[in-house]
Amino acid sequence: MHDVFIVGVGLTEVGKRVDIALRDLAAEAVVKAMEDAGNEKPEAIVVGNMLSSLVEQENLAALIADHVGLRGISGFKTEGACGSGGAALLAGYSLVSSGLFDKVLVMGVEKLHERPTPDTARGLAYAADADYELIYGISFAGLNALVMRYYMDKHSVTREEMAHWAVMMHENAYHNPYAQLRKKITLETVMNSPVIADPVRLFDSCPLSDGAAAIMLVSEKYRELNDTPVKIAGISNALDSPDLSSRFELDRFIAAKLSTERALKMANISINDIDVAEIHDAYSIVAAISIEEIGFAERGKAPKLWAEGRFRPGDKPVLNPSGGLKARGHPVGATGVYQVAEIAMQLRGDFPGLKVGGEVGLAQNIGGVGSNVTTVVLKR
Amino acid sequence: MRNRLIRLSGTKCQDCGLVTYPPKAACPKCGSRNLIEIELPRKGEVLTYTILNVPIKGFEQYAPLIIAIIKLGDAKVLAQLTDVKPEEVRVGMKVQATIRRTAPTLDGVVPYVVKFKPIKGGKISSEEERAELATA
Repeated sequence: MHDVFIVGVGLTEVGKRVDIALRDLAAEAVVKAMEDAGNEKPEAIVVGNMLSSLVEQENLAALIADHVGLRGISGFKTEGACGSGGAALLAGYSLVSSGLFDKVLVMGVEKLHERPTPDTARGLAYAADADYELIYGISFAGLNALVMRYYMDKHSVTREEMAHWAVMMHENAYHNPYAQLRKKITLETVMNSPVIADPVRLFDSCPLSDGAAAIMLVSEKYRELNDTPVKIAGISNALDSPDLSSRFELDRFIAAKLSTERALKMANISINDIDVAEIHDAYSIVAAISIEEIGFAERGKAPKLWAEGRFRPGDKPVLNPSGGLKARGHPVGATGVYQVAEIAMQLRGDFPGLKVGGEVGLAQNIGGVGSNVTTVVLKR
Repeated sequence: MRNRLIRLSGTKCQDCGLVTYPPKAACPKCGSRNLIEIELPRKGEVLTYTILNVPIKGFEQYAPLIIAIIKLGDAKVLAQLTDVKPEEVRVGMKVQATIRRTAPTLDGVVPYVVKFKPIKGGKISSEEERAELATA
């Protein structure tokens, strides 16, 4: 396998982007990533996206490549629910590491605000088991709520401990110019926010987001395109059941554990080497289980640690200096690409929000309720 | 498919013994394809639940929608709770299967599904349940 480097990144502001068409939002990220990589053009494009069918548009690789003057290159779209961006990275990495291509542009794009929220919520629930779960009308928030109640009961975690996560994410996002929710909140904001799927409250949940992110991946031959290339030292994906019923344990995400173990092994590092990580906090319960499965906390202990002040700038590891899905936002199929771009910028030293630096970073992107997980390890 | 759902069909691995719901083509634990289809018990207890004030599109009539994961013998089953008020639901509550309609599908069909209702005072109404199964 050939080494793979990140030599360009491009992000768009996350938010309600009804001002701009999907293709133009995608183009903004793609052009920034190409410019960051010395204006070099890719030989292939991989597009992470979950729900472009909501705007009646598929065949996104062709749409976006053509729109930015890349007609003729290779490409396709990847889908893995909220983990679609991670899937795009895995595919793009494979295209370069195999030697098939030297320059591959990996991007993610999502537009969730084009349709009324109940339509979008139904679409997001397609990540679950249609025949056995969706048939009861449960939303994605509801599925996470089932796990949250089970986890809090089993590990005696308090409502207030859970609420600290959102406060920390809003503090971090306050400094991030790309973030959707750039305002600080208090514990009371979280504890008094409306219940959307008991026990999940509005501020346990990420917002609905539009956004696009892009990364230029190259082989050794082209690493000089950027003064500070960042190496993809490890990458792995793991799958679990889309349904919750057949899980062996309801308070665990085995796919998060497996993909982390494999990515760390590939990078030949231990969990203690990680300086900074972007994890997939679609809900505060997802943050807790992700942190525990990665190995940053013992089982059932993550909320106690973050309530005590861990994982903030100055700690090792720092988690989600971007503000995470909670406050940077969660443009579903783009999220995995945002996370890796943000870690690359932290290691390069040019992230425009909270700068935490470091030599080794990790990103974990989760699709479904822990059913499709990609973990990436980056080294400067 | 819906008939399997109403009958609470799961699969049991003939090699490692794992019971799985929904039914699978191979055992999630040992990978064996040597499975038999079994019907799960129709009575069990609530492991966890949620109350949705905002169900997904098409299910508005059921708000507040109560969904639980129920332990049925050696398996777990996600399903809607019915005939119970949100404030009465508890972890550990004993429930039994019942056949009910759910929201119309996108092509307008109104499917029957299995839902769960509380076992009142521990009283078991298996005759009522058999009658429901026969008409489903």
